[in-house]
Amino acid sequence: MELTDFSQPIRQSSKGIIVIFAFNVFKFFKKFFVLFIAFGLSLIRRKSFANITPTMMLLGFIGILLLILVITILKYLNFKFHLSKDDFHLSTGIINKDTTIIPKSKIQNVYIKQNFLQQIINVVSIKIETAGDKKSEIEISALDKPTALLLKKQLFHKASANDETIDSISEPEVFFKVTPKRLLLEGLSQNHFKSFLLILTFVFGLYNEFKDFLIELELKQRIDDFIKLDEDTILSLLITNVFIILSVVLFSLLFSVVKTFIINFNLEVVEHQKTVEINKGLFNKVSLSLTPSRIQNLVIKTNRVKQYFGLHSLSVKQAMVNVKQQKNFNIVALEKVQLNYLLNKLLLNYNEDESVTAKPRPYFMLISTLEMLFFGLVINALFLFLFGKDLLWINTVLIPFASLYVYFAYKKAYYKISDQFITIGSGVVDTTTNILETHKIQGIKIKQTIFQRRRDIASVVISTASKSVKIPYISKHEALSIYNFLLFKVESQDKDWM
Amino acid sequence: MNFTNLQMQIEGIPKIEDVVLKPISKSYFKIITLNKFAIYAVLIGLAFLLKYVIEEKEDIQINIWYILLVVLVFCVINYTVGLLAFKKRKYAIREHDVIYSKGLIVHSMVTVPISRIQHVEESRSWLARHFGLSTLKIFTAGEAGSDLSIKGLPHLEAKQIKEIISDKINGIN
Repeated sequence: MELTDFSQPIRQSSKGIIVIFAFNVFKFFKKFFVLFIAFGLSLIRRKSFANITPTMMLLGFIGILLLILVITILKYLNFKFHLSKDDFHLSTGIINKDTTIIPKSKIQNVYIKQNFLQQIINVVSIKIETAGDKKSEIEISALDKPTALLLKKQLFHKASANDETIDSISEPEVFFKVTPKRLLLEGLSQNHFKSFLLILTFVFGLYNEFKDFLIELELKQRIDDFIKLDEDTILSLLITNVFIILSVVLFSLLFSVVKTFIINFNLEVVEHQKTVEINKGLFNKVSLSLTPSRIQNLVIKTNRVKQYFGLHSLSVKQAMVNVKQQKNFNIVALEKVQLNYLLNKLLLNYNEDESVTAKPRPYFMLISTLEMLFFGLVINALFLFLFGKDLLWINTVLIPFASLYVYFAYKKAYYKISDQFITIGSGVVDTTTNILETHKIQGIKIKQTIFQRRRDIASVVISTASKSVKIPYISKHEALSIYNFLLFKVESQDKDWM
Repeated sequence: MNFTNLQMQIEGIPKIEDVVLKPISKSYFKIITLNKFAIYAVLIGLAFLLKYVIEEKEDIQINIWYILLVVLVFCVINYTVGLLAFKKRKYAIREHDVIYSKGLIVHSMVTVPISRIQHVEESRSWLARHFGLSTLKIFTAGEAGSDLSIKGLPHLEAKQIKEIISDKINGIN
């Protein structure tokens, strides 16, 4: 393999022109989409618009494309980057010349991505993220893969200059690779409740619209029959409703499965000496690396069904990663053993059973019950408003559900605090476990409402650089001792949070 | 609860309960009052406007006093809560952290370790300048809500605190 020399300013692969061109055309059309439609419509109607014939339009269109192409080529020619000993240099700009210099030590993350077009012409884009605002992100949109990998390695070189030797000894090994079967299970066993509710309301909305439409068509007579509820119509109504619900369920299942497949296609976890790399995606291939020191929170999610199949998902929250990227740090369909192994890799000496489990006060249930009561009232009001008194039997379904909600919410809530880690469990349908290291804490808050004061109850909110977690409704005394303990931990040990 | 196990070994650690929190400058309440009164004036104005618009359109007589009474009661309650909540605004600077507590209905106390502070800012609004006050803003990393903003500190004190914190941050690096 011929190694690329990064010390001299180089351009990206010439295929980059295609990528940038496509991207610019897309951006242009997105911006003027409405304008185009307006133009097109008036053209169809009057055959001409302000003395512009379709031929002229076409010429103009080609002219615009050519202009974009010229700009793209100029952009390409002026896009040069190189590496010096400690910094990454990038110069861009056709008329306004910009030179960006990023010290290697300030680089947060380097992603390798490949969208559909890039997959066809076999190039990858590399994205360099620094701490700070979104503007400081740099994207090189077309490099062939070996070059990109080399660049990535060299960008991280400085940081590991001291243990250079160790890194070269051990070959990275693929630690986990998802099988299609497990992906299918993962998609099927997702929490469909939310998407189901969303689609259900959507369908009911359509149904109502449709009903108005029927009335307008003077089918009032039939509607009246419909409402009278004869034996027959009850049956047909029931069948229609069951049919609607079934198709919604099927649809949401299909939706989840397809979504899971597209995002997590060929999910692969590769273990390096110090970092863990995630590769995945069907249309948009991404490759991300996780550095243990930058991880702020870990969230493990599973549910009853998933537990049965041994499916766990682990999402990793790193500091200062933008929201869109944050979603990608998600590893699904992990076995329990693999999950524990990964946890140990990412968090040194994490031992779940080491510390004692404590639970929130029963006050938690009171709050959940109030929440459910409020939810029930809203639902009831909505149904009363939409369908009249007939559908109030829904409460017989709602109440057991609400009780189960309260029961499970309380059952799954717990917290553990040890010298190094805080583990907080929550969830109702899902079982969510939040883990964070004590020295990653950025700030602590104790919260108490005026009603909680009489009961001597308070909540503790623990913030890290990526997320806040809450230990809800514990006794004030306990809250204070946790508060003091964590502060002591953060302040007494001189550990860096990043 | 099982937490007592931890308590034994952490007997000696500093307690947040023992810290004497310092109330913010009393003159900040004047600023709150001015702000609130401005809002109340707008509310009362709106009540009159509403009466005027509706009567113009619908030919119904509305007794303005009832509306005014509702607005006034709201204002009085709001002001009382504001006054009581003002007394809850307290702060303290310890060797290693900054503490700020506030809130009457939802009382909260935030502590930010100085080693986690990214930068400190002292800002003064036009009104605050007149009363010799300033706001101390403390920023930590990340967007999660651990940033602090202590309003209504005496100008000199805010400056001093800013200096102390800045020195400590730089001392660590």
